Amino acid sequence: MDTEQPDLLQRREMLKRAAWMLGGAISAPAALAILQGCSAQESGGAPVATKLLNASQLALVAEIAEIMIPKTTTSGAKDAGVPVFIDSVLDAVYPQDAQERFTAGLAEFEAAAKSSGQAFLEREPAERVAFVQHSLEAALAGERDPKPFILMTRELTLLGFFTSRVGISENMDYVPVPTVYHGCVPLSQMKKHVYWE
Amino acid sequence: MSGGWAAKELTEKGLKTLVLDRGRMVRHPEYPTALKDPWDLPFGNRITQETRKRKYVWSRTGYPTPANELWFTDDLDNPYVEEQPFDWLRAYHVGGRSMHWARQSYRFGPLDFEANAREGIAIPWPISYEEIAPWYDKVETFAGISGSVEGLPQLPDGKFLPPHDLNCVEVDFKKTLAEKLGRKLIIGRCANLTAPLTHNESPQRGTCQARNMCIRGCPYGAYFSSVSATLPSAERTGNMTLVADKIAYEVIYDNDKGRATGVRVLDANTGAQTDYFAKIIFLCASALGTAYLMLNSTSSRFPNGFGNDSGELGHNIMDHNKPGSSNASVEGYLDVAYTGRRPNGFYIPRYRNVGKDKRDYLRGFGYQGRASRAGFGRFNDSASIGAELKKEFQEPGPWSIGMTAFGEILPYHDNHCRLDRDKKDKHGLPLLVVNAVVRDNERKMEQDMKNDAAEMLEAAGFKDVKVRSDAYNVGNSIHESGTARMGADPKKSVLNKFNQVHACKNVFVTDGSFMPSFGCQNPSLTYMAFTARAADHAVSELKKGNL
Repeated sequence: MDTEQPDLLQRREMLKRAAWMLGGAISAPAALAILQGCSAQESGGAPVATKLLNASQLALVAEIAEIMIPKTTTSGAKDAGVPVFIDSVLDAVYPQDAQERFTAGLAEFEAAAKSSGQAFLEREPAERVAFVQHSLEAALAGERDPKPFILMTRELTLLGFFTSRVGISENMDYVPVPTVYHGCVPLSQMKKHVYWE
Repeated sequence: MSGGWAAKELTEKGLKTLVLDRGRMVRHPEYPTALKDPWDLPFGNRITQETRKRKYVWSRTGYPTPANELWFTDDLDNPYVEEQPFDWLRAYHVGGRSMHWARQSYRFGPLDFEANAREGIAIPWPISYEEIAPWYDKVETFAGISGSVEGLPQLPDGKFLPPHDLNCVEVDFKKTLAEKLGRKLIIGRCANLTAPLTHNESPQRGTCQARNMCIRGCPYGAYFSSVSATLPSAERTGNMTLVADKIAYEVIYDNDKGRATGVRVLDANTGAQTDYFAKIIFLCASALGTAYLMLNSTSSRFPNGFGNDSGELGHNIMDHNKPGSSNASVEGYLDVAYTGRRPNGFYIPRYRNVGKDKRDYLRGFGYQGRASRAGFGRFNDSASIGAELKKEFQEPGPWSIGMTAFGEILPYHDNHCRLDRDKKDKHGLPLLVVNAVVRDNERKMEQDMKNDAAEMLEAAGFKDVKVRSDAYNVGNSIHESGTARMGADPKKSVLNKFNQVHACKNVFVTDGSFMPSFGCQNPSLTYMAFTARAADHAVSELKKGNL
């Protein structure tokens, strides 16, 4: 993205300056390691084998995530790798009862779509959006402990998106090495209003 | 923390010094995760089930994430017995907990050093504030402590680098507290270099880059740790030998000579046993680690543990009581934010039982907190989706403020640790049993800690004020201390005023074990000052032929 490159350049420059500042005290291999640390890897390419969700579950989750954060002039959830992220976090981070709640909730979501007319993925795009919107509103109005499936998906979508390179760089001012803290800055003077922290 | 200081001071005074650490080697500036971008950390940097299982005590703190978990010791591998729930939060690697301490650095004041004597609690401190003050000067100058000069008798000023900014909301909160309640809010005093050090002894250290990723280790050397600051100084003298992966489990005592001759260690990887010998020994293994080592060092002279003539070894465990946090929503300030990431927060110094204030409990508490704007987490429970949600992303969330009280815990003999020789770890060493709880004085103080927080947040006009009551296990503040207290009377204390074991003068204990009372301030700076003073005394006594 256009917005990324200057940030990366700035960061590389900052780190070089830091290595220079530390001078002889920092060993050559260590300085190299620091500089290599800033060449972030591009995500994407080959599909990654899933851990917890099967292909159809993953497709459904991907569509829900993309409806929440769609590709517009900026990247969406799928661009950010959110579906595979959700699968990996469910697998490694969530306890078994939450995993089971998620997959059961996913099945209920699909069953509700079918019983009200048509499988979710077979619906027209606008209908899918309306269905997700309705599910969210219903979940927010009801019991939220334990977290319903649609809100689990939303939380994971946001987490995956805002820890991804595109999600961060397109929506926030990500400055790896700020060098200084300013405690009170008018938004009008900020490069972007949202500063990554 | 204290071990690095002992190494620096002893080597700089010309002593050939062997430094033993039970964990792996760590060298500045090799911190594997320090410069990782968010997208290079797995699982959105959320703690995995595997880590929760293995580091089950650390997980109680909420600290471990993929970005920092390499600094948190595996609890399953290192069992202990919780006779009462106790969070023993260990960092078994070179640098220890100085790698990921919160860097808050406050002096104890005359009020703290005089408290036990004035109130008849436990035993008096054998040393006054005036005696330790020059050592605070020394360690602050070397470590680099940022902060503001405030002139508070209960929280003496020090040698400070420039203070961090308070943010816009905090500045106004400070004004409100001063005007409406006569209480101070100050920026935290922290061991981050907000400006270059005022000395040339640490060329490997640079200034703070406002990344607020200290907990991963700082390749800029911008916060004080043993690895970034004291050990490099010790190494430069040419007098230090640092050996990692060696578990010291016994102080070797020579009955005929009436002195300790060395320590016995196991190799953490191979189990091989080695004896190391020295003229003087500094124990800096943390309050429970050192108590363990001393309790495990029995001889005909010391059947109840090394230096334990008083029966106080392992007793009087203290920490800081942290029974909950308070938070509130802040209206307005929507046209301002902050840039950079401040590795620090605000501090509300103790005001209870200070001056004319008198409560129905002893001692007091301070608050640490910060105001901030909400991030993307605020969208977790909203219904907006699609382009509307993406538009909302472009603005920072509303402000909120949170603060946590840290209360002094009195030294109680019954709060103790001991060995269970029937239970063994994988090295065949006995397990430590810990039994410590908060009692009446702390419970009474908790009422003020909570009520005052609500009072202050409401006085500022903040909304939705919430005061949480969280279960607190002793140890959770990671300030455990007091297990080998110092005192003038050898019948009632383990150490003398120079941190020397009363009954064996060539052994010094300078981690948190020595504290006879605990204040409500973060204690590391005090351990640094006492360690430097003890090392000075040790070398001077050695030169006089007294050790």
